[in-house]
Amino acid sequence: MRRARVSLVCLAAAGLLAAPALRAQEAAWEIGQPAPEFTLPDTYGEEHALTDYRGQWVVLEWLNYECPYVRKHYNSGNMQSLQSAYGEKGVVWLAIVSSAPGKQGYHEPDEMNALSQEKGSAAKAVLLDPAGNVGHLYGAQTTPQMIVIDPDGTLLYNGAIDDRPTARLSDIEGAHNYLAAALDEAMAGQEVSVPTSQPYGCSVKYAR
Amino acid sequence: MSKGRALRTGRGSGAALTAALLLSVPCTAPAQQAEDPSPHSDATLVSEVRAVTPGRSFTVALRLTMDPGWHSYWINPGDAGGTTTLDWTLPQGFSAGEIQWPHPRRIEAPPLASYGYDGQVLLLVDIEPPPQLEQGSTVRLAARADWVVCEEICLPATADVELELPVRAGPPHPDTDWATAIERTRRLLPQPAPDWDFTAWRDAAGFVLEIEAPEAALERFDGAYFFAARASTIRHAAPQPVVRDGGRVRISLPASEYLHGAVERLRGVLLAPPGAVWPVAGGSPALAVDAPVTIGPVAATGPVTFWVALLFALVGGLILNLMPCVFPVLSIKVLGFVQQGGASGAAVRAHGLAFAGGVIASFLALGAALLVIRAGGTLVGWGFHLQSPAVVGVLAALFFVLGLGLLGVLQPGTSLTRLGGILGAPDGYGSSFAAGVLATIVATPCIAPLMGAALGFALTRPPLQTLFVFGALGVGMSLPYAVLSARPQLLSRLPRPGAWMETVRQVLAFPLFATSLWLLWVFGRQTGVDGVTYLLVALLSLGVAAWVLWRWPSASTHGRRYAVSRAAVAAAVTLAVVAGVRGAGSRAEAEPDELWRAFSAAQVAAETAAGRPVFIDFTAAWCLTCKVNERVVLETDEILEAFEARDVALFKADWTRQDADITRALEAFGRTGVPLYVLYPGGPERAPVLLPTILTKEILLTALEDI
Repeated sequence: MRRARVSLVCLAAAGLLAAPALRAQEAAWEIGQPAPEFTLPDTYGEEHALTDYRGQWVVLEWLNYECPYVRKHYNSGNMQSLQSAYGEKGVVWLAIVSSAPGKQGYHEPDEMNALSQEKGSAAKAVLLDPAGNVGHLYGAQTTPQMIVIDPDGTLLYNGAIDDRPTARLSDIEGAHNYLAAALDEAMAGQEVSVPTSQPYGCSVKYAR
Repeated sequence: MSKGRALRTGRGSGAALTAALLLSVPCTAPAQQAEDPSPHSDATLVSEVRAVTPGRSFTVALRLTMDPGWHSYWINPGDAGGTTTLDWTLPQGFSAGEIQWPHPRRIEAPPLASYGYDGQVLLLVDIEPPPQLEQGSTVRLAARADWVVCEEICLPATADVELELPVRAGPPHPDTDWATAIERTRRLLPQPAPDWDFTAWRDAAGFVLEIEAPEAALERFDGAYFFAARASTIRHAAPQPVVRDGGRVRISLPASEYLHGAVERLRGVLLAPPGAVWPVAGGSPALAVDAPVTIGPVAATGPVTFWVALLFALVGGLILNLMPCVFPVLSIKVLGFVQQGGASGAAVRAHGLAFAGGVIASFLALGAALLVIRAGGTLVGWGFHLQSPAVVGVLAALFFVLGLGLLGVLQPGTSLTRLGGILGAPDGYGSSFAAGVLATIVATPCIAPLMGAALGFALTRPPLQTLFVFGALGVGMSLPYAVLSARPQLLSRLPRPGAWMETVRQVLAFPLFATSLWLLWVFGRQTGVDGVTYLLVALLSLGVAAWVLWRWPSASTHGRRYAVSRAAVAAAVTLAVVAGVRGAGSRAEAEPDELWRAFSAAQVAAETAAGRPVFIDFTAAWCLTCKVNERVVLETDEILEAFEARDVALFKADWTRQDADITRALEAFGRTGVPLYVLYPGGPERAPVLLPTILTKEILLTALEDI
């Protein structure tokens, strides 16, 4: 069964809000260069700085639970199993929500925790970026969009989760998972063969 | 029945009702779950005919209608959204073609942009019925359509659509309603433009699409837009500045941040400004573009064909013989021919062919290795094995030991042909083959001017063509030897063997030492003064080992003396290996340079965007041509003053060690090796100029005049 969560009210509300001017900022990321630094609070109010995780592998996942493309990976259990599998290998998995208040994917912290629990998310933390600053720093275009950062803080991968740009659950099987490939290669000391790919999904619902 | 219908149920006025209901729900409340499988949009299957004529193909269309503000997507959806797919279930003998996409519209949502449709769109598909069909029967065409509709948010949509058509012989039976709509949509399909010429090249910012078109078309490019058919090619949201240059226009297409690897062809749709049509047969708002991505504007006039590349490779291989780093081997081999002159003509020919075989096999092996590594996705290029200090160190040691051998230290009475025979049987065809291999190894750092284009071509081609080009390089390089051995009468013009050969042999040691010296310098650039000192310790140890072997040769040394001397040799060689490994592991400190900045694609893009001219020197310590150009041209006062007068930003891309960014930049210019000189005349829309590999002051000054 296909469901649609329609939040026209949110759209209407967004339309009524005075839209802050969008920074015409160029993304600051480049593969092989230091990943842009950031500090963000999680849904429990705890601050996470990228520098806290020097010495560890880090995955950033752009998240919007209502986006059909994100639901493809959560409803199939694909995202959660990646989170647990790499979590066990010591990878710090941070989900980031860059949806602006009132837009799809934005939730108050308590609600977000309830949703994460319902979905069975195994991410270390869900970070809140309602102003979209960190999303813009990493050029996050879509949900999902995946980032790999090595223990030295170097950006190794930025792009799609896999090579099947659809919202169909049946496309999980047989897809080539770019994220897993990048992590496996990098953690084995090899060069990442596909360091970037066109991310696919819903646009990140940034503040306008 | 001839009208298509969607099988899914319950939509119609549902959207308005849902919206009205939702308006009473607070924003953060759990979202409503609608049962509608195709929210905010509708799909039906329509046909241009009322009946199927056996054996006569016809067109059907997936008709998508979207609520106001909602979009469905093109084959490349752009930055978000997803394309539409059709999964057909057809009667026996029927086949369906690919979707023919009408040109899309750019849907802007800064900082993103997507490519899609709003209102209504017909996606055309040709259906081919079998030649035999039962008269009066009914055929059922069915498909599962999957698409995505987005407004601010995105929703997946699906529908099972079908169409039932009777079979009737005779002339076609058009469905007047849909035949007209389908015909209208055909005018929105990208049309071929046979009289136009599309070429493209990469620059630091992305792609430049150059279009040669009739005069009438050239005036219509203001507001034209190029839709790339593949995602992760161009930046969808970026402006596409257009510059006119005589009978051509150039459109700058910034590269996608997610672009990875080489792009061989730029495919897509060129859309005329709103309301305009291109002056092609019938007039069309959209043209199909399929442009080869060439190595740069210099070659834009004619893409390198396979045969031209083979010829280039052959000539390039010939020129390799004249390069300083091949010279020592060449002279040694010529002496080898002199010795072989005494043998039979057939034997000489066989030696020549064995040598040629060694050269060609090495080039093929190099090509194959490059293909394997390319397949592995690692960014490497020509000369890559000299980017490894370990390889440079081993070569330096090899040439040092060979030099000692020529001086007579290593083995008294060593014949010259044994030099190449270190890898094979002395004086056999194996040794000639090995000499060919050795000659190839030392030739690689010297890229002859013609080889750049051929190799750049080879690396973007299918593997077999790549191997042919590499093979042609080998043939070119070994040609003089093969000719000399096939015509032994030419050998008779060479001096007769005699005592003078001993002198020549000793003299030839010095070019080898010089080569070793040069490799030590390269090694030093890679590993610093500590690294090179370790390598010198390794050479000293090898020298001791060689001397011990000479002083106490196997033939006349026995017993304890033999054991002790051989133990000393083993110890010295071990020390050499340990010191060499330590040396190769050292790292050179980067030298700060006031005039030349280290290459960074982002900084180059920033400077060119600011309108400042930029010069990039792609170089490496092991590249002799690069060093000569730098000493003789680039670092002269005259040139530096000219750079300063025009406020040129100077970048040095040092490829001495493997560097993925520089490899990628070289690849973008269609090159796989250094040297490469690139001059950006300043201004974002002006194409970069690639300067010749053998640089002169005049060429550079002339190029600077134009900026």
